[in-house]
Amino acid sequence: MDGASLSGKAVGQPIKRIDGVAKVTGRARYAGDIELPGMIYGRTLRSPHPSARIRAIDTSRAKALPGVRAVLTGADVPDALYGRMCKDVPTLAKGVARFVGEKVAAVAADTIEIAEAALELIDVEYEPLPAVFAEEDAIQPNAPVIHPETVEVFSGAPVAVHGELVMYPPIRNVISRLKVHHGDTAGAFAKAHRIFEHRFSVPAIHQGYIEPHTCLVSIGADGLVDVWAANKGPHIARAHLAAATGVPENRIRFNPVVIGGDFGGKGSLMDIILCYCLARAAGRPVKMVMNSFEELTAGNPRHSATITLRSAVDRDAKLLAIEARVIFNAGAYAGFVPVPTLHGGYGELAGAYRVPNIAIEVLRVYTNTLPRGHMRAPGAPQVTFAVESHIDMIAREIGIDPLELRRRNAIAEGDHTPLGEMRRHLRCRETIDAGARAFGWDKPKAPGIGYGISIYEHPAGNFGRSTVALTVGTDGRLTIQVGSPDTGTGFHTIAAQLVAEHFATTVDDVEVVQGDTLTSGFEFGASGQRLTTTIGQAIAAASDKMKRELTALAAERLNCAPGDIRIGGDGSFSASGATIDRRALMGWAAARGKAPLTCEGVNAPEPSDRTSFAAHFAEVAVDRETGQVRLNRVVTAHDIGTVVNPVLHQGHIEGGLMQAVGQAMSERLVLKDGAVITAHLGDYKLPTMMDIPALETVLLPGGSGAAPFATTAIGEMSNVAVAAAITNAVFDAVGVRLVELPISAEKIVEGVSKKASAA
Amino acid sequence: MRTIKLTLNDTAVTREVEDSRLLVEFLREDLKLTGTKESCGVGVCGACTVLIDGKPISSCLALAVHADGCAVTTIEGIAEGDRLHPLQQAFLDHGGFQCGICTPGQILAAKALLDAKPHPTRAEIQEWMMGNLCRCTGYYKIIESIAAAAGAE
Repeated sequence: MDGASLSGKAVGQPIKRIDGVAKVTGRARYAGDIELPGMIYGRTLRSPHPSARIRAIDTSRAKALPGVRAVLTGADVPDALYGRMCKDVPTLAKGVARFVGEKVAAVAADTIEIAEAALELIDVEYEPLPAVFAEEDAIQPNAPVIHPETVEVFSGAPVAVHGELVMYPPIRNVISRLKVHHGDTAGAFAKAHRIFEHRFSVPAIHQGYIEPHTCLVSIGADGLVDVWAANKGPHIARAHLAAATGVPENRIRFNPVVIGGDFGGKGSLMDIILCYCLARAAGRPVKMVMNSFEELTAGNPRHSATITLRSAVDRDAKLLAIEARVIFNAGAYAGFVPVPTLHGGYGELAGAYRVPNIAIEVLRVYTNTLPRGHMRAPGAPQVTFAVESHIDMIAREIGIDPLELRRRNAIAEGDHTPLGEMRRHLRCRETIDAGARAFGWDKPKAPGIGYGISIYEHPAGNFGRSTVALTVGTDGRLTIQVGSPDTGTGFHTIAAQLVAEHFATTVDDVEVVQGDTLTSGFEFGASGQRLTTTIGQAIAAASDKMKRELTALAAERLNCAPGDIRIGGDGSFSASGATIDRRALMGWAAARGKAPLTCEGVNAPEPSDRTSFAAHFAEVAVDRETGQVRLNRVVTAHDIGTVVNPVLHQGHIEGGLMQAVGQAMSERLVLKDGAVITAHLGDYKLPTMMDIPALETVLLPGGSGAAPFATTAIGEMSNVAVAAAITNAVFDAVGVRLVELPISAEKIVEGVSKKASAA
Repeated sequence: MRTIKLTLNDTAVTREVEDSRLLVEFLREDLKLTGTKESCGVGVCGACTVLIDGKPISSCLALAVHADGCAVTTIEGIAEGDRLHPLQQAFLDHGGFQCGICTPGQILAAKALLDAKPHPTRAEIQEWMMGNLCRCTGYYKIIESIAAAAGAE
C-alpha cells in the first residue's frame, strides 16, 4: 500500500483528536488529578550544597509532628541504585550529596503544609566537599571525583552505537567516551584548500512541560502496587521499579494517565521509587508532585555542551572533512539517560551534508550540578547549533552565499551520511530551493534586517518495541489497545486513523484504549520521532492477522475456501457474488461463540535508508543600539511522505519551532556555584504568544516513507536547527556572530561596538 | 477557618476555609474540580486561570477567601450540558491543544477576552493571551481557535 491508495476517510484526513473533548472540558485525568481514599502527600528535603558528606540526619522532631506518617532518609531506602543505563542514582542520598537539590530525606504527611513543616524539622549535618561545575574543569586530573564507586552499566541500550565506545574510561569524571570516524580525516586535512575551526557553547534548558513530574503510589491489601505517574514509558518504568524494590513486575500496575507534555523529560522514574518507599512506610497511598522550583532546580534538563568543530574545504567550497569534539555536561548522575551518550551528539552531526571524512569524539562528563536527561532529539539541538553556525561562518569567510554553500554540500540521492550510512529518496536541494523561494532569500533587505538559513536531517526512529492488541467486537467495531500514554504527540489519534484505514472505515468505528502494564503489551513510548513508524508497523501486523481471521470466518459463513474471499474497498468480504460486511459477520460469529476476536501486533525494527529533511529560513530585525532582536518571520520547508493527520503534523512543526525559538532567544538555566538560580518561570523565560514569528510552512509531499502508507516522521524536525537560522540571521543583519546561546542584547551591543572600534 | 459563600459555575457554594488556602487548591482538592491545573505556582504560566466576576486571574496566587461573594467560573462551568462552549468547539476543530494541560486556562482566558471584546484582532488576541503559556502548540493554533470562535459567535 502507498499514499496513492488511501480511502480518503482516515489516513491523510484532518481528524479531530480523539482525546479532544476530555481536554477542552477539563475532564482529562492527569496523574495529579487522581485522588485515592486515605491519600497523603510526600515532600523531599534537598541538599543546599553541591558536594557534601552527610555526617548525620536527625528526623526525630519531624516524626513527632502530628499528621506526619513517614520520614525516610538514605538509611531507610533500598541500596539498589537506579539508572536507565548507568546505575548511579540513589533513591535518597546515601552518605554524600552530589548536587544542590539532591534529595536527602522525605516526609509523607496528611497535607503538603504539614509535610513541608516537617522538612524544616529535619536536622542534617553536612560537611561541604570540593565541587566542580564546568565540564572542562571536571575532566582535569586534579578535579574532585564525583563517583569514586564503580558504576554498573546496563548493556541493553536500545540504540546501537557505532564506533569505539568506552564506558567510564580512565579520564576523571567521564561517563562515556565515544569515538566515531569514517574515511581519512588526516589525509583530507592535509589536502585542504582551507581549514576552519570554531568553538560553541550551549546552556542547559528545561523541557518546559507545563505538567510537573507527578506520581501516586498505592499498595493494595493484596500487595499489588498501583502507580499513576507522568511517565511516558510505563513498561520500562515498571521494570526499574521492580528492580529497585524487589516487587515482581506482575505485582506492579502502572495505570493509564494523560501526560501534560514530555519532550524527553518524563522517561526517568524521578520520584517513583521514593514514593513507593513512603507508601510502604506510611501504609497509605502517597502522591508526590515536583513543584516548579524543584523542576527548574532539580529536574533532568538538557545537557549543556561545548562543541569544537574543525573543517577542511576544497577550492570549490566542498566539505572534505570535519573533526568534532563534543563535551556534554551530564550533571551529578548519569542514570537519567538511557543510552551511553547522547545520540544527537554524533548521529546526526552534519548529517545533512556530504562529508567524505569525519572524526567525532563525544565525552559525557559528571559535574556537581543537577543531573541532565533527554530533551527533544537529545544532543542534536546543541550540536546542530554548532554545525549550522560553523557552516555559515565558513561561507562568510570564503565569501559565498550561505544558502549556496549548503546547496553545494547538501546530501543528495544515493549519498552516504558523514558516518557512512546510505541515504536514499532524498530531496534536500529541492527542499532548500522551495523554502528559499517562499522566503524570498534573494530579496533586498532594509538596514537592520538579516536573513539566516539552517538545514537538518534526521531519520524516523525505528527502535524499541511497540505492541498493540486489536479487537473486533461482536458488533464489528474495532478497538485498539496501546501500551503508553499520549504525552501530547497525538499518537492515540494516529493509531485510530491507521486502524480505520486498514479496515476502510472512519475513526468513529475505532476505540483507542490505553491499557495498564498488566493488560497491555510492551510499548517503548514516544522517543526519537518513532511512534508513527513503530505503531504503524504494529497496527499493520495486527490488522493483517485480523483480516486473515476475518477472512476465515467469512469463508465459513459464505461456504467457500478462504482463498476465494475478496476484501472489497469498503472492507466487506465477498465470494461468488455473496457479500457480508464486518458487522454482520461478527454478529453471525458471536451467535456461534466465535467473537470477539483479538490479534496482537508488534513492530519489526529494521534498518532504513529513509530520512526526514528540513530547511529553515529566518528573518530578524536587530537594533544596533539596544541589541534587541525581533524574529519577524520564519519559513520552514519539509520533505515529506504521507501525512497521517495534517493538523497534528502542522502542530508538531509549530510547537517544535517555538521550542527552538526559546532555545535561541530566551531560555537558559543559570547556575551559580552549582545551584540553578533561574528558579521560577518569572526568571526562566519560556516563549509566550507575543514571541511567535510569522510562519509559512512549505511541504514537499510525495516523498517515500515507511510501509504501509509511506509515512515520514516530523516530531524532531523543526525544533533542532532553527536556533542557528536565527543566529545566522543576526550575523547577516549586524555582523555579530553569536557562538553561545541564548541570544542576548548585551552580546549584540558588545559585538557591534567591537566591530565599530575595529573598523 | 472562615466561611465563604460564592457562586461557582452558577451554583451557590458555602464552605469553610483556612485564610491561607489558595483558590487553586480550594477548587481542586476541596471541591474536587480538577479541570483547573497547577503548574508554575507564581502566576506566570496561566494554567490555573479561572474567572472571578468574568475577569481572568491566576488562582495559584489568589486566596480562596478572595472569592467570597464573587462569581467564579472554571472550565467545568462553560459548556451547557453536552453542548460545548463555542471556544471549546473551536479548540477541538482547529487543533488548539496537544497535551491539553494548559487548555482549560487558555479557554477561560480567551472567554474573558471574547466576552469583553467579541471580535478582537490577532494582535489583541496575542497581547491578551500572553499570560497563558503553552509548550506543545507553539501558539499558532490557539490563536486560530480563538479567532474562529470569535468569527462564529
